[in-house]
Amino acid sequence: MNEEEENLSEMESLRLINEMISKAKSSYVTTGAASMVWGALIVLCSLLTWLQIKLNYFFTVDVWLFTLVAVTFQVYFSIRERKRRNFIAHDETITTYVWSAFGICIFLLSFYGSKFGNNGQSINSLFMLLYGIPTFITGGVYKYKPMIVGGIICWILCVISMFTDNPVDMLLMAASGLFAWLIPGIILWRRYQTKRAASV
Amino acid sequence: MKEENFSPQASLALIQSMIAKTRQGISDNSGHFLIWGWVTFVACIGQFILKNMLDYEQHYLVWLLVFPASIASFYLGMKQNKKREATTYVGESMRYLWMGMGIGYFVLSMILTRLGWNTTIFPFFILLYGLGTFISGKLLEFKPLVYGGLMAWALAIGSTFFNYDYQMLFGAGAILVSYIIPSYLLKIKVNKKINTL
Repeated sequence: MNEEEENLSEMESLRLINEMISKAKSSYVTTGAASMVWGALIVLCSLLTWLQIKLNYFFTVDVWLFTLVAVTFQVYFSIRERKRRNFIAHDETITTYVWSAFGICIFLLSFYGSKFGNNGQSINSLFMLLYGIPTFITGGVYKYKPMIVGGIICWILCVISMFTDNPVDMLLMAASGLFAWLIPGIILWRRYQTKRAASV
Repeated sequence: MKEENFSPQASLALIQSMIAKTRQGISDNSGHFLIWGWVTFVACIGQFILKNMLDYEQHYLVWLLVFPASIASFYLGMKQNKKREATTYVGESMRYLWMGMGIGYFVLSMILTRLGWNTTIFPFFILLYGLGTFISGKLLEFKPLVYGGLMAWALAIGSTFFNYDYQMLFGAGAILVSYIIPSYLLKIKVNKKINTL
């Protein structure tokens, strides 16, 4: 490509930047699946934990280990997606850092929990507090209200969980997963399907 | 509007300048970082002295310092809002990041009030210091903030091996490396850049 062809006017440059933002937004629509999977997993693990406490029957495997499998798949698919595309939009970079930092914090919080014992009173509240932060930031960066609301709901549920016992906390945790990721993910997914159907 | 020709390099430079502009904006706004950094640092050290050296029972009262700090921060924010120019995309993201972190700290303080002051909750506060500064460092492409965040996380792990009395010192160390030092370094860097222009 020669230099002449590559020159962009100021207006074209701005258009290019806008395109990148909207392209990233449409790619975010496709990744609504990741939000759905993650949300469904948190809901499922929380409900299974609640069931175990209620029935006083505990599985030999910790159900929360399923989240590790989900993280592995998510990392694999995001690396594959990045290789397939030839650009990474700026907002995508931001959310990558936000969610990477969140991942590190979840790991550290699990370490904290194992160190001080899984005291239902505090650790569940702390998890919900942490769920709210990246969800709220991602919603803000993408101007996506369901996630902003989802993040705020996580914090409200966190406050409620300070006054409830462990089994109820699990139901609140399931609600966090539902409002922070599953419902916003389903909305994104439906939006994507509608958009795809319209473009055919 | 006069159509100026931009090469791809110039377009990238435009994006870089947006980051630099935000960096400068953050440096101009580093007052918040410094107010909260110093107040937290003084409160951690103060609580340690009151509890362990002076055996003062209501050692936690030192945290009342957050109230004048909140007023000062609010006043500073109002003043800056009046003279704020158009925000950049990075600046907008930083706003949501720190809004989220602020609410997170507030909810965590509620948890702490509910659980009692002798709860080993310092590691979690340190964890949040790391979260905010690590992401800010990556957004602003400013390494001291990134390293500060990583060091805060290492201190969060380290603090779990000590009892509550000593965790306060880890809190002070974390705030020093993740808020106070990077804020001053950012200020120096931006000032240097302005002076060379």
